[in-house]
Amino acid sequence: MIEVKDVKKSFNGGTVEVLKGISLSIKDGEFLAVLGASGSGKSTALNVISGLERADAGEIFYGDCNISNLTDKQLTEFRRKNVGFVFQRYYLLSHLSVNSNVRMGADLVGNKNYLEFIEAVGLKDKLKCKPATLSGGEQQRVCIARALAKNPYVLFLDEPTGALDEETGRSVLDYILKLKKDRGFTMIMVTHNRNIAETADRVICMNSGKIVDEYSVLNPKSAYEIGW
Amino acid sequence: MIISIKDLLRLLGISIVCCCAVFVCTFMLNFYIDANNLSDIPAELQPLYEAQLLTAKFTSSISGGFLGVIAVVMLLFYIRLFIYSHSVQLGILKAMGYSNIKLAFKFWVFGLSVFVGSAAGFILGFAFMPMIYDGLTVDGLSEIAINFHPILFIALVVAPTAIYGVLACFFAVLSLRKPAGELMRGRSEKFKKTKNEKSKNRPFLKEMFIKSVTTKKLLTIFITFGAFCFSAMVQMAFSMKALSADSFAEIILVIGLVLTVVVSFMSVTSLINANTENISIMRALGYSLKECVFSVLGGFIPFLFIGFALGTVYQFGLLSLMVNIVFADVEKVLNYTFDVPLMFITLAAFIVFFGSVIFIYSLKISKISVKQSAVD
Repeated sequence: MIEVKDVKKSFNGGTVEVLKGISLSIKDGEFLAVLGASGSGKSTALNVISGLERADAGEIFYGDCNISNLTDKQLTEFRRKNVGFVFQRYYLLSHLSVNSNVRMGADLVGNKNYLEFIEAVGLKDKLKCKPATLSGGEQQRVCIARALAKNPYVLFLDEPTGALDEETGRSVLDYILKLKKDRGFTMIMVTHNRNIAETADRVICMNSGKIVDEYSVLNPKSAYEIGW
Repeated sequence: MIISIKDLLRLLGISIVCCCAVFVCTFMLNFYIDANNLSDIPAELQPLYEAQLLTAKFTSSISGGFLGVIAVVMLLFYIRLFIYSHSVQLGILKAMGYSNIKLAFKFWVFGLSVFVGSAAGFILGFAFMPMIYDGLTVDGLSEIAINFHPILFIALVVAPTAIYGVLACFFAVLSLRKPAGELMRGRSEKFKKTKNEKSKNRPFLKEMFIKSVTTKKLLTIFITFGAFCFSAMVQMAFSMKALSADSFAEIILVIGLVLTVVVSFMSVTSLINANTENISIMRALGYSLKECVFSVLGGFIPFLFIGFALGTVYQFGLLSLMVNIVFADVEKVLNYTFDVPLMFITLAAFIVFFGSVIFIYSLKISKISVKQSAVD
């Protein structure tokens, strides 16, 4: 269970208030979509909840652990053990192979069976390829395999299909949803696309740093059932 | 295309290397020309006089040639780095119809760094010349007058500036021969051939450690050179105190330390800048600061010690050569033997210096934002 209590975050010495006190709770194994327009604060919310950034005020609990009180070293250890990230721009290490990029995640938790994740995202035959030789969709799939090879408690995704065309985007989303179904990890995905949010169990809508709406999706759709 | 003042400031390292090279060459060659004109040398002083002339010629050739080559490598490194970091901008200009030659012509300004360095070295050389002449003039000979030789100014300032400017343009033409589209795809999309590469399934940190070195071969050379300068110049300076004038040893020590500091910081800064995104993503995933520092900088540590060993051998070889061959016919020249305690003291100072460099850069790495990768 993740509990976010009245979290605030500002930039530029407090002049730009990006999060104006958000509170929410996320159940284990839940898939939450954070929906909002550009500048609504959704990515900052993701960064703060995942421990990439510190909140200015408020508390974030992972079970009994309040990550707001952790030192930098403890926060690094927390991310190491608990969270995986999938970014819009992939951020693969360009000088390393697909295998090494996925091992980057796997080695953090001593996962020797990381190849199953490369296989799961359909890239077994690209093990030795460098990221620059892969298509955008393939690179994003490497990013997903890297994140999941850590066996994270929660997977954070920031616009994972934002840089992809419809066909590739659907395919990547489909991989994510299948892996989520198989492995049951908690998932928090930021998106500006209302259709993509329909694949989640629950959606929160953000505007100007606040949660303005929240609803459960009765029948979450598959990647090929939604509009684009 | 705009080559900004900031871009040119990055070339400060080249200016400093050129400054050191021209500084030594200026006073040595000026001394050589002025001393060569002396007449009525007493027979008993003739061997020492000739040895001093040979020393001047030898030192200027070694330091000028060696540092000149390093300056060329640095210049080419910076041009490549500039093209790499401005590839999108250059690609757009090419796509708009600018020719390679027209774009490359703008790179002549990189030669300015050589002009700044060599002019400063030339002026410094003249400023220190009275002291150097005093130290190098053989006792018993008449005072050697300092003269300005225009040919030296042309050879040490004008010619290098022109040559480096042309070289910069030529290298830029070669580097810009890629298609506009490839340049526009930018640095993150740079394609690298993987066909023949040996691929071993190593742990991630070990792979990063190895690839940090193998993908940055030029930086490996610079880091080795920085360690070489420290080792060679410090040991040489202290060994020379017993063999020649103190002022000369002090100049060698200062040049050695300046070159070490400039080359080391330039290399490590480039290395960290090139790895900022990698470090950021490693930190985001949960790698500790120690692991990040180890994986990026650790692979270069063996090269530091290789540089130290090479510098030790070089200074021993050079001083042995000077004492046993150049000054062989001169009486009252002290024997030179390898100074083991000095080597260990230098090694200790070397470890402290480079340990501090790694510590300073680990602080820089710790300031790389872990969320940078997510929001930039």
